[in-house]
Amino acid sequence: MKTRTLIAVFLMSVSLGAAAAADFDWNIPKGFPRPIVPSSNPMTAAKVELGRYLFYDKRLSANHTESCATCHRQELAFTDGRPRAKGSTGAFHPRSSMSLVNVAYAAGLTWADPTLDSLEQQALTPMFGETPVELGLKGHEPEFLAALRRDPLYQRLFPRAFEGDDPYTIQNVTRAIAAFERTIISMRSPYDRYRWSGDQSALSDSAKRGEIVFSSSERGGCFRCHGGWNFSRIRYEGQKNDHLDEARFFNTAATPYPAPNRGLFEFTHKPEDVGKFRAPTLRNIAVTAPYMHDGSFATLEAVVDHYAAGGKTSHPNKSHIIRPRALSAADKSDLIEFLKSLTDEELLHDPRWSDPWPSLASPRQSAKQ
Amino acid sequence: MYTRRCLLLATLVGSALSLSAQEPSAAPTAEQTIEILGAVKQPLTLTAADLAKMPRASVTTNNNGMEMVYEGVWLHDILQKAGAAQGRDLRGKALASYVLAQAQDGYQILFSLAELDPAFFDNQVLLADTANGKPLFGAQGRFRLVVPKDKPGARSIRMLTKIEVVQLRK
Repeated sequence: MKTRTLIAVFLMSVSLGAAAAADFDWNIPKGFPRPIVPSSNPMTAAKVELGRYLFYDKRLSANHTESCATCHRQELAFTDGRPRAKGSTGAFHPRSSMSLVNVAYAAGLTWADPTLDSLEQQALTPMFGETPVELGLKGHEPEFLAALRRDPLYQRLFPRAFEGDDPYTIQNVTRAIAAFERTIISMRSPYDRYRWSGDQSALSDSAKRGEIVFSSSERGGCFRCHGGWNFSRIRYEGQKNDHLDEARFFNTAATPYPAPNRGLFEFTHKPEDVGKFRAPTLRNIAVTAPYMHDGSFATLEAVVDHYAAGGKTSHPNKSHIIRPRALSAADKSDLIEFLKSLTDEELLHDPRWSDPWPSLASPRQSAKQ
Repeated sequence: MYTRRCLLLATLVGSALSLSAQEPSAAPTAEQTIEILGAVKQPLTLTAADLAKMPRASVTTNNNGMEMVYEGVWLHDILQKAGAAQGRDLRGKALASYVLAQAQDGYQILFSLAELDPAFFDNQVLLADTANGKPLFGAQGRFRLVVPKDKPGARSIRMLTKIEVVQLRK
């Protein structure tokens, strides 16, 4: 009888958990799809809240100097403003921090890794990776988890987010961070209001002309790699996989691609993959300078000039899409105005994604001492 | 990949369209037209108002998870109005004909004339002038084609300005 009761309680809690996940409020504007969420990590408000605290917690680095937010700053659309990211021990990453905006929809993660399948899995790289060291937690797992366990705030948040006797696990840390990252959704830019709500006053005439340059195969051709409402390849709930499997990585002849920045080649070791990188979303691109995988272009003007010229170098793997484009100075200026219209100002300041820790005397501050 | 739900819509859609056509659009002030020319008996220059008087049809597409309902006129109905060879007349030398669609920026795509004839093939190529009830604008152009049976979107040409029927064998 006792066992039955226990089973019933267990089943009830499972179904309650499922209901909470199904009811999760994404706050997605009408018409846009919902992202795909791994069945092993359903969305709940409690998990997102925990993930937000962890995302901004410097105890996630072994020397308590960096958190996820160090390289993914909200005011910069979750990039860091540096050409190349700098880890907690001062080591530079060979590549530039990618924006986390709409990362829940990303068809693939990072600049060129074809093997990563989930944000949960990806989080392990900055936490424990050694080439380069980012947060530098490798070998420090016991004290890291002990610090979380000791924190009165986490003593409230972890059990609310995860069931089980000991919710303080690395797996749960990555699950909570991934759940928080999935909520960073941007669909409220002036361009969204123009294109999807028909608000003709949301864009300048220059930006409207820029949309045409962007979307024309004969002129800018930009949409060929940065297509769709997210300006990048996406996955979404209910997707049918019967579309053509287009190339997902592009060599844009931007640099000579020295090691270890050879893109897809670093994983496949096929010569034809040298210099191939993902085309990231262009949402909020005006606030995510410098550009490209290695931050080698300081401004949007430099990026547009690069593509208009058909690439900087004559790399053998250069995509056929990268070719000289007859764009006038006015066309380029219009294109940049269009790109600026993709900035979602709300996203940059929305308190849902801001640092939740009090600025003074926070638990993470005291942990440093 | 497009999903499709094709509906022939009659007077109700016609009146809804005339209402939405009165809304301001991003299009330049000069009324935009589409030309049908080449190997046709009656070359046409059509406005959105002309299309509103023709039999209306719609196609529902799914673009990256966003559902769009395009409305307009089947391209084969427009070709019929222009007097392009269709049905019993589409034989012999006329079978070596193609339909070239051109966009404002010079982009071009083509279909064989038979490919657009319902007597040969249930093609469902829509010349659209509205999306989700609003006139097309901006990078879509005032007119576009929607080709739900194509897997890639390359022939769903946007900013459409001209449709030319070309007969290769005279």
